[in-house]
Amino acid sequence: MNTVVTDARVDAAPAVTARALTRRFGAVAALDDVDIVIRAGEIHALLGENGAGKTTLVRILAGLEHPTDGEVELWGAPVQQFAARAARRHGVALVQQHFTLVPTLTAEQNLVLARPTGRWLPRRGDAAGRLRSLVERFGLDVRGGVPASELSVGEQQRLEILRALDADASILLLDEPTAVLTAAEAESLLAVCRRLADEGRAVVIITHRLAEVTAGCDRVTVLRDGKVVLADAAVSEQSKHTLAEAMVGRTSSATIGLAQMGDHELGVERIQVHHVTVGHLHDVSFAVRAGEVLGVAGVDGNGQAELESLLAGVRAPDEGTITLDGDRVEVMRPRDRIRRGVAYIPSDRYRWGMVRPMSIADNIELGRGGRWRTGRAARHRTAEPRLTEWDVRSAGAAAPVRSLSGGNAQKLLLAREMSPVPGAVIACHPTRGLDPLASSVIAERVLGAAAGGAAVVWIGVELEELLSVSHRIVVLAGGRVTGEFLPPFNRNAIGLAMGGDR
Amino acid sequence: MSAVTVDPGTSGAGGSGVEVAAGGVDRRRLVSTIGVPAGAVLASLLVGAVLIALEGSNPLAVYAEVFRGVFVENRGLRNTAIGATPLVLMGCGLAIAYRSSLYTIGAEGQYVIGAVAATAWATAGGVRDLPSPLLIVGCLVIAAIAGSAWSCISAALNTRFGTNIVISSLLLTYVGIAIMQWAIRVGIRDPESFIPASRMIGDAALPIVPGLNTHLGFVIALIVVPVLSVVMSRTRFGYRADVLGHNPNALGANEVRESRVMFGVLGLVGALAGIAGYIQVAGVTQRINAEFSVGYGYTAILVALLGRMNLVGVLLAGLGLSGLTIGLDVAERTYDLPSSLTGLLQALIIIFVVLADAIAGRIELRRP
Repeated sequence: MNTVVTDARVDAAPAVTARALTRRFGAVAALDDVDIVIRAGEIHALLGENGAGKTTLVRILAGLEHPTDGEVELWGAPVQQFAARAARRHGVALVQQHFTLVPTLTAEQNLVLARPTGRWLPRRGDAAGRLRSLVERFGLDVRGGVPASELSVGEQQRLEILRALDADASILLLDEPTAVLTAAEAESLLAVCRRLADEGRAVVIITHRLAEVTAGCDRVTVLRDGKVVLADAAVSEQSKHTLAEAMVGRTSSATIGLAQMGDHELGVERIQVHHVTVGHLHDVSFAVRAGEVLGVAGVDGNGQAELESLLAGVRAPDEGTITLDGDRVEVMRPRDRIRRGVAYIPSDRYRWGMVRPMSIADNIELGRGGRWRTGRAARHRTAEPRLTEWDVRSAGAAAPVRSLSGGNAQKLLLAREMSPVPGAVIACHPTRGLDPLASSVIAERVLGAAAGGAAVVWIGVELEELLSVSHRIVVLAGGRVTGEFLPPFNRNAIGLAMGGDR
Repeated sequence: MSAVTVDPGTSGAGGSGVEVAAGGVDRRRLVSTIGVPAGAVLASLLVGAVLIALEGSNPLAVYAEVFRGVFVENRGLRNTAIGATPLVLMGCGLAIAYRSSLYTIGAEGQYVIGAVAATAWATAGGVRDLPSPLLIVGCLVIAAIAGSAWSCISAALNTRFGTNIVISSLLLTYVGIAIMQWAIRVGIRDPESFIPASRMIGDAALPIVPGLNTHLGFVIALIVVPVLSVVMSRTRFGYRADVLGHNPNALGANEVRESRVMFGVLGLVGALAGIAGYIQVAGVTQRINAEFSVGYGYTAILVALLGRMNLVGVLLAGLGLSGLTIGLDVAERTYDLPSSLTGLLQALIIIFVVLADAIAGRIELRRP
């Protein structure tokens, strides 16, 4: 398993050469005449807004999609057939943005499944040993013996990467690997990528985080609207500013946050979480006032998922109470939540917030509307202006949500949840996986709701973002509130609290 | 790192950012809604033709005879309509259930329970002398309630204990048939009858509709199709049933508790199956005997699948399958063919529908 890449390969052709790659979906070109070269031993950042075509590009390289036109060479050999298996044989491994683990199987079982060692399943101890050796070798910590569904998002991501590495990947494609990681985790992931590259692999990272590009990558290619706008540039010659400009086509600088929104008075306490215990959470209490944005910081997997489902009324606490304006939050009565003006932006929008095969118009209606529905044409007509208002770029209200890019799907979700103006917002990683422009639109809307008197709980993992949007921050670690902070925020203290006080 | 940035005033601008767009979506839907069932039927008729040829008959002549048996033969169309009635009623319910990803296969049991409940009431002393319209309406209501209650046992078991609906609904069918066997021997037995059978249903029998020459049940089935189509496309219930089928988590987090929709859908399946059972007694058999359960509830599964879970499709599939059965019956007699041909063709259709569905799915995956 050690150093899979032969020297011959390193000396030979680049790991990936793509020429004039074009991919059309109907009338829209997701990729338009893209050339890209990726060399072994380098970390290559692929930068671009949502919908710029980054994901399409790596999916083609991994053999999950065909290009409409153009050609690809892997290690100098032209790709004849765009199939996942053929790509795997060339050492290509893709870690997708949406996880592909079997949720009921443990980490070691998932590894065994992806790369069987023979006709018989390995002994439990051997499988666990294989996981352990991978964990130690790459420094990516994943618990064994627990079903994948019970691992935190960060752990699942690390498991996905381990699985790719276990398959002797020589070309590692990571689609938004850091979107769900904390700053420290992301840093260690970049360190791992560096080591993998040093061993002779080619590593491609799709990201939105400019800091990661400048800190951890060697080369960068920027895509915009399916075209290459900055080709294979050395990162050392770029700055965050130039990269941002290439990405969005203009200079964006100001950080949106409370600073831009102007001051407003905070009102009475509206959401009260009182000594709640369930799952990872242990005796958690806090309150949110009208007009206040409460940031919940912490490493993912420390009780955020439980807190989210409690606040959204999807799960009941074992102990303690959650009240909104003094009335208990009803469990599994979603219409009740909507009637009381609580907007819910779930951390996993495709699981809790949207019905992917159904149309955009149908999704806008989820949880709204009475016993009778209008005709299909009328539904599409009423949906269209809201798509325009929220800048949801789609092929029309009749198109399935499946056809939307991540950022547009999130905007669609907000178009539904944030109108009429909500009285409270439960926002869970609302900007995860979105480009800066989409993120700023979404942050602006959520903060706007707070300015209008809504009580907002913002659960996030990106500290910078939380610092700029929150009136107050509580830190979750090990299922407990380990700190509460008021501006001006003390980063070090927050960082220590995130590490847990135990 | 990625601090949230703003660029006031330009958030609406920017190039097209659609990763994937619709293109030829409608055409693909058409292929899967019409191509799949048509291809499956055609393929099974082809295989059937080979089997008929092996029996020593001319397949074309046999199929021509099937056609003649339905469209030319006296009462061919009428028998087709009557045979299609229970298939369409139950197929509609099952189609909705399958759209909701509730894979119940217990319509046969609900059909039998509905028939027994309605017959028991209509033949009870004191009730059987009521005026005919009152009896019919009463029977329809009772059959619907009984079938629905029977079906909801599956929903209750699933909600309370997490029991698999496929298994519980299938096993409940055996219980339902056992109850019927008991009923015609003990519970509602006709004391005058030699063999175990219920009393004649008497004034609760369905009248013949003038002009159509079929019993009233066929008209009921014809009305149910558009009514349910409207329910599915224009009511919250239909919307929730579809959402349940695609993403139960999103349903629970935004619309309503999943189990409520499950009870609604499975209750509807049972009500339609119960009504079908009563209609069969009141329109065809006139009483329940030991051979009452002939498997319409299972054929209805095929009807729902062949109709692509679309209610108009169910109507066409029900009529088509019923016509095939009636026509083959005539052809079998004319050409002295084995009577297993109908069952064989039905089985072939199931296999080819499933196969064509898988192929269509693959083509859709291949093509963007």
